[in-house]
Amino acid sequence: MPMVLLKCDKDIPEREKHIYLKVDGEDTRDYLPVSNAQTIPGTLSERGCAFCGAKLVIGGVLKDTIQMIHGPIGCAYDTWHTKRYPTDNGHFNMKYVWSTDMKESHIVFGGDKRLEKSINEAFDEMPHIKRMFVYTTCPTALIGDDIKAVAKKVMSERKDVDIFCVECPGFSGVSQSKGHHVLNIGWVNEKVGTVEPEIKSPYTMNFIGDYNIQGDTQLLQQYWDRLGIQVIAHFTGNATYDDLRGMHKAGLNVVNCARSAGYIANELKKQYGIPRLDIDSWGFNYMAEGIRKICAFFGIEEKGEELIADEYAKWKPKLDWYKERLKGAKMAIWTGGPRLWHWTKAVEDDLGVQVVAMSSKFGHQEDFEKVIARGQSGTYYIDDGNELEFFEIIDLVKPDVIFTGPRVGELVKKLHIPYVNGHGYHNGPYMGFEGFVNLARDMYNAVHNPLLKLAATDLSGNVNVPVLRAAE
Amino acid sequence: MTTAKVDQLFGYVQERCLWQFFSRSWDRQENLDGILQTATDLLTGKAPARETPMEKLFYADAKIMVADFKERFPWIEQEGPAQIRALMHDLKDKLLEISVTKSLNQELRHSLY
Repeated sequence: MPMVLLKCDKDIPEREKHIYLKVDGEDTRDYLPVSNAQTIPGTLSERGCAFCGAKLVIGGVLKDTIQMIHGPIGCAYDTWHTKRYPTDNGHFNMKYVWSTDMKESHIVFGGDKRLEKSINEAFDEMPHIKRMFVYTTCPTALIGDDIKAVAKKVMSERKDVDIFCVECPGFSGVSQSKGHHVLNIGWVNEKVGTVEPEIKSPYTMNFIGDYNIQGDTQLLQQYWDRLGIQVIAHFTGNATYDDLRGMHKAGLNVVNCARSAGYIANELKKQYGIPRLDIDSWGFNYMAEGIRKICAFFGIEEKGEELIADEYAKWKPKLDWYKERLKGAKMAIWTGGPRLWHWTKAVEDDLGVQVVAMSSKFGHQEDFEKVIARGQSGTYYIDDGNELEFFEIIDLVKPDVIFTGPRVGELVKKLHIPYVNGHGYHNGPYMGFEGFVNLARDMYNAVHNPLLKLAATDLSGNVNVPVLRAAE
Repeated sequence: MTTAKVDQLFGYVQERCLWQFFSRSWDRQENLDGILQTATDLLTGKAPARETPMEKLFYADAKIMVADFKERFPWIEQEGPAQIRALMHDLKDKLLEISVTKSLNQELRHSLY
């Protein structure tokens, strides 16, 4: 049974290797979807590009860094403001976007000079900013612009600035996952170890793979402050460029998003001997477990138990209110990759919600090992899903709510199925104890909102018109 | 009966423990060796090593797992040291098989991260 060829995929039978239906008695020794593989011609992929993975997900989060995108203007606009990662310095990263705005003549005659001019202009316009990421894009990589040479020249002329180059054009990988990889490895090899942070606590860690989506980092920081743990660097939520240069000084690497940032945790272990501890930061049970593990590592278990007891007392009654009203709801998770395995047991255990289908845009087989081990039988596990597959899966599993991005969200809204933004959140933060109550509230409001049913009503005749039938 | 007990522990680890799914085969092997040995120490009343950073890491993961084992599977506290060692040995074999030797993950043995 296991691997599934959906009806809509009859002309692209290769898709069968990417869709798995879990059956009792099977495990990942028997079946594991193909993933992190090239999108099959004929399928309309929902994926992003490698450049987007580097810029939108990781680099663009930094709060004190110019993000210079060396390419046509669209590469800048399309990776700006589509995720909400605030900062405690006035959201510098979300207010501005920078591009070399390459035009045909620059492509023909080369863009090095234009890049140099743009870098200098940006630093001149923002004299209080001294740090910059420079990204190649598809056209500037193809014409061979040497962005590292340009950055080196500018740094030799402006002694107080530091520039990191990300050479990861959109075409360089099968999805945004490649961009995560290139940025992680480039950063650890070129920048980590170039700043010595001030150590203020016997307990130090990096918190890796949390991008302060709607304040996740800032919420969790309250826990670490209370425990007396110094976070040397958040990779990269609400972080500064120089925070990340000092990552080598942490005593522990705590990893949330192992997909986008597991690489740097692995390298920090290999190069600096810092152990890697993977945790889940979404969900009550998981968050408590993560705090317990961190505290056990540092030998401060009592402090951890006090924190957990206080947070449970404050937030658990609120969570239980939503659990009573969400029990039995059917949920689909169609996001990037890790949220599938972070969320499936968390919503099941903490909210009584059943996850019936999960789709990953850029997860690797490691992510499918995790989610199939944690997820239920009778649930669909999909790699690189496309729109027609989503329609067919909706018919098969009939979800009450879908956690996905705004583009797919608009699609399912037309079927009058509520969606919650699974990438940038509706009303986050979603991490931590308080955050999971926010997630429960948004799910409750989505599932029980009468608006979608009302929207299907033809006011002139007061007759419900199913969208698909109406379209025929 | 022993098989049923190992299956219960295995089910728990599959569902809860991210350390079995690290990026590469050698990381998974290292975690299995370190965490299951520390858990065995804790379950048999031996003080686990907590000197090096890696020993502290194994302790952090093992401590929470052992507490959950005791809560979810109360029978484990009735087992003697020899039975605990045998159970953990069989658990490790089973985990090693699913996460390393019979894993279908094609990135598991890539030499680079």
